[in-house]
Amino acid sequence: MTELSSIQRTWRNPLFVWDGSQEAEKLPTPTFVSHQEIWEATRASRAKLLPVGRLRYYHKWAGHGQNLWRRSRYFPTRRRVLRIRGEYNKKSLRREKTIIDKRPIWWVMGLVALALVPLLTPASLENTLLTAGVTFGIYAAINLCWMLVIGTASIFSLATYAIVGTAAFVTAYSSTMFGLPWWLLPPLGALVGVIFGGIIALPATRLDGFYYALLTLGLNELCRVYFVTSREFGSATGGLYGAATYIPQDWSSSGQLQLAYYACFAVMLLALLLYRFVNGRRLGRILRMAPEKREAFAEATGVNFRQARVRVFLISSVGLGFIGGFYSANYGGVAFSIFSFDTVLLGLAMLVIGGIGRSEGAVLGTLIVVFFDKVLITLGPARLIIIGLIMLFVVLYLRNGLFGIKQQFRSWRDKKKSERRSTRAEKGGEMLPEEATEARNVDDLYRRRYDKMQREFLKTLVKPEVIEEHRRAPQGQHSEALERLLIYFRNQPQPDKYAITALQSINGFRIVALSGHRGVAPRVVEDKIYRSPAEAYHGVFLRRVQDLLES
Amino acid sequence: MDVWFVISNTIVLACIYGTLAIGVSITWSSLGFLNLAYGFIFAFSGYGAWLFAQHVSTFGPAVLACGILSGALGGVFVCALAFIPIHDKPNFTIRGLIATLAINLIGTQSLLWWFGPRSKNLPEIFGTWKLSFSGVTLTADRVGNVITSVLMLLLVLRWMRSSRRGLEIRAMMMNPHAASIVGIGVRRTSFYVMAITGALAGLAAVLLSQTYYISPFGGLTPMIKAVSIALCGGLGSVQGAVIAAVVLGLNEALTTVSIGGRYVLITQFLMIILILLVRPRGIAGILDRAREA
Repeated sequence: MTELSSIQRTWRNPLFVWDGSQEAEKLPTPTFVSHQEIWEATRASRAKLLPVGRLRYYHKWAGHGQNLWRRSRYFPTRRRVLRIRGEYNKKSLRREKTIIDKRPIWWVMGLVALALVPLLTPASLENTLLTAGVTFGIYAAINLCWMLVIGTASIFSLATYAIVGTAAFVTAYSSTMFGLPWWLLPPLGALVGVIFGGIIALPATRLDGFYYALLTLGLNELCRVYFVTSREFGSATGGLYGAATYIPQDWSSSGQLQLAYYACFAVMLLALLLYRFVNGRRLGRILRMAPEKREAFAEATGVNFRQARVRVFLISSVGLGFIGGFYSANYGGVAFSIFSFDTVLLGLAMLVIGGIGRSEGAVLGTLIVVFFDKVLITLGPARLIIIGLIMLFVVLYLRNGLFGIKQQFRSWRDKKKSERRSTRAEKGGEMLPEEATEARNVDDLYRRRYDKMQREFLKTLVKPEVIEEHRRAPQGQHSEALERLLIYFRNQPQPDKYAITALQSINGFRIVALSGHRGVAPRVVEDKIYRSPAEAYHGVFLRRVQDLLES
Repeated sequence: MDVWFVISNTIVLACIYGTLAIGVSITWSSLGFLNLAYGFIFAFSGYGAWLFAQHVSTFGPAVLACGILSGALGGVFVCALAFIPIHDKPNFTIRGLIATLAINLIGTQSLLWWFGPRSKNLPEIFGTWKLSFSGVTLTADRVGNVITSVLMLLLVLRWMRSSRRGLEIRAMMMNPHAASIVGIGVRRTSFYVMAITGALAGLAAVLLSQTYYISPFGGLTPMIKAVSIALCGGLGSVQGAVIAAVVLGLNEALTTVSIGGRYVLITQFLMIILILLVRPRGIAGILDRAREA
């Protein structure tokens, strides 16, 4: 304040030379404030601009080729090889391409890497890695079929390994008893699978969610108890072995392992194909229409989701039975451990870690769990604890497994963004962003914004010198600051504008506020009665200044 | 008499499984949370009682109390680890189920790691006396099992009926949203519920260890039986669980006598499937009033 008064400026009245009777020649006036500063402060963006992560980044490939990519499709389907969008760069005026969906590329790279594993493994690790790879192939195939049941059909079934195990035991038994060749085992298993699946699909039509999960958990235990106690299925030896196998016994052990690896890999590819054909086509579409808790809506629109669910369940049962038959043809038999509760838990861990409802989730989850379970076998029971901890972590912190991280991160970032935006929004006549979208007249938004800036500026002009100047002479020529204030006040709309009435009876003046409507009398603002018009003018000025400072 | 022996055996098992099933039922209906870590809590309290019997004292009631306490501790542990972090997150029911399964996996493997695969047995809690009248011989552990489990159940039900906390739990069972509106904290109540149901599991573990042994994976079969009884009785209904326990116990007795013990699970599941096909929400569950999420 002291600094301000030290650099106080003076205002020279230009009219003084003509009529010097009432005017003062010089008056103190506040320092000049540029309205440009307010303008710039208002217009400046206070959003922190971070260098990454605000826009989705796509690499742009040069050249034409959109139509070329549109023409080629996978043979049996109408699906395009890659979704590629072509466009002109508006700045460089060059043609460029964008790969919209990169997932097929990742799939091909991953599958090629898996196919190359046996060729690249060092000889010392070959036994461990390829045995784990065989397990991985079979379990990935089982999990893909299971994912169809849980993800696509949203039937929370835990009896998957019961189907696989039953098919494996029945085929192994018939192979040892009747001497069936190995190539008959998978089809026989598929037959067993469809029968078993048909039996357990029966309650699935009536029960929902958890009731079915608990029931199938019990069914799994039932199968385990039945097969463990039955004599013909080898209760004494811990499993049933001696079934026909496709692996020639006269090959070297590494050759046998490689053959088994590629056979299991092929089974996994078949399961992927099945997944694609069920999930990506009509049945999958129908079931995507009827997610959990919105079944009634789907039913009302004519979607027969129950039938579709049972169909998916039966199809995946066929697949699971096939895999069961392959299982006994691969290992030459089957052990009781396939029914154990830990197997179910590990399978569920595979699905959950990858993310339910995605084929890539099933495969990646299987890879992680099999790596811990079969490759790090030296860790002992600790490896199952590690898998359990990963599963717990994923369930507690991730909404939909590892492959849901991206989406979860995006929604979290959007939440944070909107939180920050709401802290940035200011009031004061301006509209909030939420109201602004619903405003009828967009001009109004700009007027309010301009008005707010103007008021911000005018507030800086209100100083004791200005008020003193107005008290001296409410009318006539004024300094720049006071003139700006008065012009703003005079330009306000009629409703609630202050005015002065002359009281003839007592020869005084009083401040009123106009109603703004024709025929409605002004209302009295205060009881104070002024002796002269000049005093009343100043009273109005003070009120307006007060209103301005309060706004 | 063979039939008498089987029936008394079934009554004993039904009492124990009923205790577990009521625990499952209460947890589901009050918290909307399906605790499949029950097998772990079961084994955990068994080992707790065993450690107490090894190192402190073999006095029967003390061992029993220790088993119950460690069961409650296990329940609180599961609640803090699986229920509290995700009970208000999207997709809670499935994620809660999977989280408890993960805890089950971790817990049983840790027990296996710590105590080894060899099963342990507890001392005779109820002594070794016998009671025989009109051709029926009742051993001490059978009588003790039935009396203790019925007593404990009555105690818990009485507590739920007459105490302030029990009122809170019952309010949560009736309508969780309204309960939270009138100021019943979900988190605090969940600790009571899980401690109580864990204590029931601990009791069942100690009682069952009179017949079977304590092993890391020994909780699995009781859990599955309990869950299927709770399912059959209608999740969330205490009376339904009792009725289902009696019905399935009768079924077990009849199957053992007529066809053979091997087929018990098969007939049991056929029966459950039949009951659920007729009444999809169990014996006592009424379709509309069942808890949705």
